[in-house]
Amino acid sequence: MSVYAVNKLCRRVVHEPELREALARDPDAALRAARPPLAEDEIAALLAGDVGRLSRMGANHFLLHQLGRWEVLGLDLPNYAERIRAAWR
Amino acid sequence: MAETVGGFGVPHNPHFPLWVADGAPAAAEIERLYGGVAAHLRAARPDLLLVFTADHYNMFFETCVPIFAIGVAESAAGASDYPQLPRRVVPIAAGLARHLHAHTVRAGFDVGISQELELDHTVIALLAFLFPDDVPPIVPVFVNGLIPPLPSAQRCLAFGRAIAADGAPAAADRGPRERQLLARDRRAADQRDLAHGVPAPEWVDRVVGLLGAADVDRLVAEATEERLAEAGNAGGELLEWIAMLGTIPPARPAFLDVQPEFGHAYAAWPAP
Repeated sequence: MSVYAVNKLCRRVVHEPELREALARDPDAALRAARPPLAEDEIAALLAGDVGRLSRMGANHFLLHQLGRWEVLGLDLPNYAERIRAAWR
Repeated sequence: MAETVGGFGVPHNPHFPLWVADGAPAAAEIERLYGGVAAHLRAARPDLLLVFTADHYNMFFETCVPIFAIGVAESAAGASDYPQLPRRVVPIAAGLARHLHAHTVRAGFDVGISQELELDHTVIALLAFLFPDDVPPIVPVFVNGLIPPLPSAQRCLAFGRAIAADGAPAAADRGPRERQLLARDRRAADQRDLAHGVPAPEWVDRVVGLLGAADVDRLVAEATEERLAEAGNAGGELLEWIAMLGTIPPARPAFLDVQPEFGHAYAAWPAP
């Protein structure tokens, strides 16, 4: 497992509208189709919008914020920020 | 011989050009702050801009993440990451860019190059305010301020000083006035922006205070990797400011203002 897979997914969200659509339509399937593959605990955290946990796992804060920016996986910028802060408080 | 006509620092908030175009409540303040820097910048009459910036995972990611890199293409378009921003093509002073690459490598810095590139919002957003129409050729200088491990503040200052120490011979791109502008984009310490998560307002105050006091050495000493990480998810972008500060003599800025709610600073150090 590498948080690189999470970071790459976040980056793809910025540049691939079809991925954003897939995440809105069927997030579990979209995450399982990601390459490189995501680990089960990464998928669980992503489905929960748990950016705080992903941050603790080593995912990049700036890339995680893109999930909030594009409002996927139940995230938006305010709850992204709240969850990151809470994880590091 | 090139002449450095000043150093300038501004944010690259991708929302600001759109807010101003839409007449958002913050528009007047944004225009005032950029205008304060732009007045000094235009008075300096630069022939070209060295733009110290940090790619936001748009160009450098899968293949390579260089600590320092220079764009050496003839031009670059953008913004690659914010299609909402009006797309524009920016000329690059490719000859000087290649010269600076060779110079800094020979000075002991491991600097990459990008021979085909797109610019992201970190360049395009600020040009919307500083050069909304014609822009002088730029040299994009990338400092990794986002992907750990970050270069040290000391290293970034030394990198800027190495660029300033360049003899800047008769580069093909040099304009007739032989002036060289050292521009810079970025926020001082990135907090509480819409996009960012772990604010440290006291760090913004500290950075702006040190900038105002021309205490670059203290700023560099305090800008540790831990401090930058605590400042927010783009706190490392202060390293771009520090690299820029390496290119000019330490001095109090002629213009300095801050938007504490965003963690953004605006500053101008025109050459005397």
